[in-house]
Amino acid sequence: MQKIILPILVVITMFNFVKVSAQEEIDLNSAVIDSVLVKNANAVVRSEEVTIEINSVNSITTKVKKVITVLNKYGDRHADSFEVFDKSRRVKKISAIFYDHTGKEIKKYKKGDFVDRSMINSGELFDDTRILYINYTAVGYPYTMVFESEIENSTTAFIRPWRPVSSNYLSTQRSVYAISNPKKLPLKIKESNFDNYLINNQKEEGIITYSIVNISAKESEVLSPLGDDVFPLVNVALTNFVLEGVHGSALDWKSLGKWMYEELLKDRDQLPQETIDEVNKLVKGAKSKREKAKLIYEYVQEKTRYISVQLGIGGWMPFLASDVDRLGYGDCKALTNYTKALLESQEIPSYYTVVFAKKRKDIDPDFTSIQGNHVILNIPEEGEDIWLECTNQTVPFDFIGDFTDDRNVLIVKPEGGEIKRTKRYEPEENILRTKATVELNDNASMTATVERISEGLEYDWRYRNQFETPKDQKAHYKENWGYINNIEINSIKFNDNKDVVKFTEQIVVSCANYTKKVGNRLLVTPNVFSCDQINLPQYTNRNTPLLISSGYVNTDEYDINLPEGYVVNNLPKKKVLETEFGKYTHELEKIDDSKIKFRRYLKIIDGMYPKEKYEEYRKFRSEIKKIDKSRIVLKKL
Amino acid sequence: MSYMDKLLLGLVLICSLHSFGQEYEFGKISKEELLEQSYPLDSAANAAVLYKSKKIRYKYDKEQGFVLITEVHKRIKLYNKNGFDYATEEMFLFDSNGVKEKMLGLTGKTYSISGDDIVETKLKKEGVFKVADSDYINKVSFTMPAIKEGSIIEFKYKILSPFSRSIDRLLLQYDIPIKKIKISLAIPEYYNFRKRTSGFLPINIKESSDRQSDLFLGNSIDYNVTKYQIDSENVPAFKKEPYSGNYKNYISTLSFELQSTQFPYSSITNYGTTWGAIARGAFKDSRFGGAMKNNKYFKDDIDQLVSEISNPLEKTKLIYEYVKDKITWNNRNALIPRKSMKKVYQEGIGNAAEINLMLIAMLKYAKINVKPILVTTNDKPLSMFPTIQGLDYVLARVRINDDILFLDATDKYGEPNVLPNRVVHGLGRLIAESGNSEMIFFRPSKISKKQNILMCEMGSDGNVRGRQRIKHTFYEAHDFRIKNTLKKEEEQRKRIGDLYSLQNISEYKISNLKDIGKPVVESFAFETSDEVEVIDDELFFSPLLFLRNRENIFKSNERLYPVDLGYGVSKSYSVNIKIPEGYEIIEKPDDMGLKLSDDIGSFMFRMKVVGNTIQISVKETLNVPLVMEQYYTELKTFYDLLIQKESDQIVLKKI
Repeated sequence: MQKIILPILVVITMFNFVKVSAQEEIDLNSAVIDSVLVKNANAVVRSEEVTIEINSVNSITTKVKKVITVLNKYGDRHADSFEVFDKSRRVKKISAIFYDHTGKEIKKYKKGDFVDRSMINSGELFDDTRILYINYTAVGYPYTMVFESEIENSTTAFIRPWRPVSSNYLSTQRSVYAISNPKKLPLKIKESNFDNYLINNQKEEGIITYSIVNISAKESEVLSPLGDDVFPLVNVALTNFVLEGVHGSALDWKSLGKWMYEELLKDRDQLPQETIDEVNKLVKGAKSKREKAKLIYEYVQEKTRYISVQLGIGGWMPFLASDVDRLGYGDCKALTNYTKALLESQEIPSYYTVVFAKKRKDIDPDFTSIQGNHVILNIPEEGEDIWLECTNQTVPFDFIGDFTDDRNVLIVKPEGGEIKRTKRYEPEENILRTKATVELNDNASMTATVERISEGLEYDWRYRNQFETPKDQKAHYKENWGYINNIEINSIKFNDNKDVVKFTEQIVVSCANYTKKVGNRLLVTPNVFSCDQINLPQYTNRNTPLLISSGYVNTDEYDINLPEGYVVNNLPKKKVLETEFGKYTHELEKIDDSKIKFRRYLKIIDGMYPKEKYEEYRKFRSEIKKIDKSRIVLKKL
Repeated sequence: MSYMDKLLLGLVLICSLHSFGQEYEFGKISKEELLEQSYPLDSAANAAVLYKSKKIRYKYDKEQGFVLITEVHKRIKLYNKNGFDYATEEMFLFDSNGVKEKMLGLTGKTYSISGDDIVETKLKKEGVFKVADSDYINKVSFTMPAIKEGSIIEFKYKILSPFSRSIDRLLLQYDIPIKKIKISLAIPEYYNFRKRTSGFLPINIKESSDRQSDLFLGNSIDYNVTKYQIDSENVPAFKKEPYSGNYKNYISTLSFELQSTQFPYSSITNYGTTWGAIARGAFKDSRFGGAMKNNKYFKDDIDQLVSEISNPLEKTKLIYEYVKDKITWNNRNALIPRKSMKKVYQEGIGNAAEINLMLIAMLKYAKINVKPILVTTNDKPLSMFPTIQGLDYVLARVRINDDILFLDATDKYGEPNVLPNRVVHGLGRLIAESGNSEMIFFRPSKISKKQNILMCEMGSDGNVRGRQRIKHTFYEAHDFRIKNTLKKEEEQRKRIGDLYSLQNISEYKISNLKDIGKPVVESFAFETSDEVEVIDDELFFSPLLFLRNRENIFKSNERLYPVDLGYGVSKSYSVNIKIPEGYEIIEKPDDMGLKLSDDIGSFMFRMKVVGNTIQISVKETLNVPLVMEQYYTELKTFYDLLIQKESDQIVLKKI
């Protein structure tokens, strides 16, 4: 019974709370904060109340009241006192008051004191979103900010989600999120990562609330997943919404996809006849669909470039294919739509695909709503689909790299939407093969010819080297092999075979003092080119799982010619490390008196591992690092 | 050669220049230019400016008075895709309450080769974007249509500016090569500008005079104009180098600074012509000079603060600390206060001028011998000549007997004579009310120190356990405080771990961190198995263990401008290693000393064995804050040799 009574109490206090002012509720004195919340924190969210009022299908009011105590300079960024607005978003109220550590008011900003500026970035051509912000200089720490705002938005396709744990080094004393839906418009709510957190959730007549208290600050941790994948998150969306005046429905992916097609894409793919003729000519000799698509993709790469312009239905509508054809530029939407139009002219069906680019993030299949930050193109094929990144002029055909690989995406078809997963690159596909012939001389110098072949994601991580200036290329390799003091890069040759996605680097290097003379001996590190440089920190208490986002295989094979007059007696035994994260071997073999062979193998398996595994992985990498730099002794005859 | 010959030659030159200029008529693109695969003088260039012309002149307008007209014509060759960024041009136009700069007559074309033909595509309205960036700035950008590898883009436009007293700094060098650049200015006699250049390339400015006429109050009036012309060819691309302080000092530019104006029937208006005038003007200025005099708002507080103290040095430090503590810098450089000093004092927030002029006023009030220094910070290009526009900061200088103290109260981690980076790399001008002035360099002549002491014990398994102590002095301590003061203990241990590739660090302690003026001392215990290699029954290791330098920070083989480190520094290492029992030393490195020419720097390596302990002493010193480019090769070699020496091996063998 108690379980029921308690939540009702919470709701009642919640209601009271919304009506009373913050000053009465929260002690603005910074000294009263619980020490648990201060530990590791640069700032403490004393109280955050976000109320989403769904007035109608084309009006949502978002009210924010936030009280934040900033403990030091690094916490300043959490005292975010700004609102973004545009044609459909109106800032009705905005204010910020700052208090010193005793709770005494030091500065007050009314709406008129906020600065109005464009959100445009350098390099971006057009963006009509604007920002209201203040420049507050902290006079001492801790201080407390009370920020209030009210935004009315006629675009209802996006509703501010609840992220009570939004940042590292930030603790939360109390966070409340309420959605009021008096007209009972159909609504979707998705709760994620609620395990391990005590969250109060109330569903009352027309009002849904979530609240959480006393979340201590977390330290940042390397190789950890996105916050949205581990910390509590509530996403809310209207089933029927408006995007800059255009009504839409997100009943399921099929209907949302259909809406996108009808409203954003349809009839935007007309091409001038000359271009169609040109493409007809271009693909004339090509036999297969794949071959034709490749020619067209390369045609687009040759003809267009990427620019950033946020225009048309909240930035979601591509500009016309005929415009791209004439101007030779466009953003991701425009270039994708253009490529799609060209393919269509050859009767190759392809689909506009919405995706979250960069750090791997899925379009959440269980939460039908407008998501994503990028657009690519999908060509369905028997066996494996073809994926095209249309904003990159140098990448090979059907190669998306780790920018958009292995994640759920939304395919927009005329008949409706569909969730698919993009290509996954298995560790065995991401190969870096290093072969070298190394000459050691008795004056301690070394010269070597190295050949590195990269495939898969290794290709993605390396092929851009060719576009640097020769000076920067040299600097790149000097940096890459920075552990070899005084290394000289004598020549660099590249071969980029886009047809098979293989990048070859041929480099001649030398070093005046690679080996170390010690009396009548010479110390040599046989692993000249692949010494692991990763240094993973140790955590006493890791909070997040270990995420290895991409797997790979690296192999090395060197012929090492010993300097004249030196011999090697005992070579160290082969070393093998095998863990669930991958495998490592380090092996030396005597070919004859003047030659040894070095072999190295490293395979890393991608995946999400429980947080307890991190320490094991760290040890694995640190052991590799140690073996990598181990040396052998050559003796003078 | 006779006089006549010279004259003729001059004429021929002028003519040929003229015909050369013809080649760059808008719209006249040659096939050769389009077919060119790479820039002949720099094959690495992704794009090159084939031609840039900028014409600046004045015209009289009935309503606005003199307006500044800038005409730009630019032609850029895009060799490959990486050069495509140069197909977009961005500019910022000022708008001060409706008095605004306007862009007119933008025309642009893209030229490409298709088969045998040249294809032209015009820039249209759809490619031009205007955004109100803030209340004062409009951003205009445009991007050229239909570009391909090998395309040439060309555009011209005009900017009308009512802000006739300020001419933007003219860039004579870009990060891509320039084939030909032509800049001309025609300045009416009513404006008196001074020219100022920067960079290491020669700049040749031709000067001549001409007549110009305008309609003035219904009458046509004639006046003199001074013409300046720069014609340069084959300007190499500018490359940023690491450790160069403010790169803006090394890129080629030309600036025009207004000295005075005198219009018909009006008297002369001066805008600062000499340091004397600037100095006197500053003291007379109600905001600058006024801020130094006004003492009403702090009188009582300062009286109370220093009432018991008579020693001027003590008084100075007390007041300096008082301002540092009371007023927080709002991150703005400034030469002139914007708010009333009383308000700054009450709110506790101020810009650089407000804070340091307040400091000066207080010191003055306390009868300390103090003067202001006008500063060009690291954010601005330096000028050896008097200029108000070049100045953006104020500092206090105190003199007590023979001691000189530079004080900057904007820096919470600062101390007397320890200044923030923005000031150290800049240049100052000490001014007096009489108009006297003196140039001030801020890079310290005293070197800073980082002293390391390491005591450890080595096991026969190669494990090393010990303790390290690091003492940071002077600027090293200042740098340390800026970077690490707010770090929590866990983060400090992580930092040490990353720095030395150590994994087991314990008992981390730090002292004097908040005691500014004293050296910062860190100490910790460590254990590592990574530093000693066990091969058969021998142990190999380098004498400094994890403290040795591993990477030369100077990677490039050449250098066109100085290495600017801000301050000289001496790093010393004193390492004691107790070797495992039952082992003897069979190999050890020899002692070594190195000296850079002109006493720029030195290196010393010494080792001795006392009983079962190895004692190593190493000292690396760079005596000067600024190393000129001619010493660069020597400097790089110095570090190569030093790294090599520090990686020499000690070998222990089981007895």
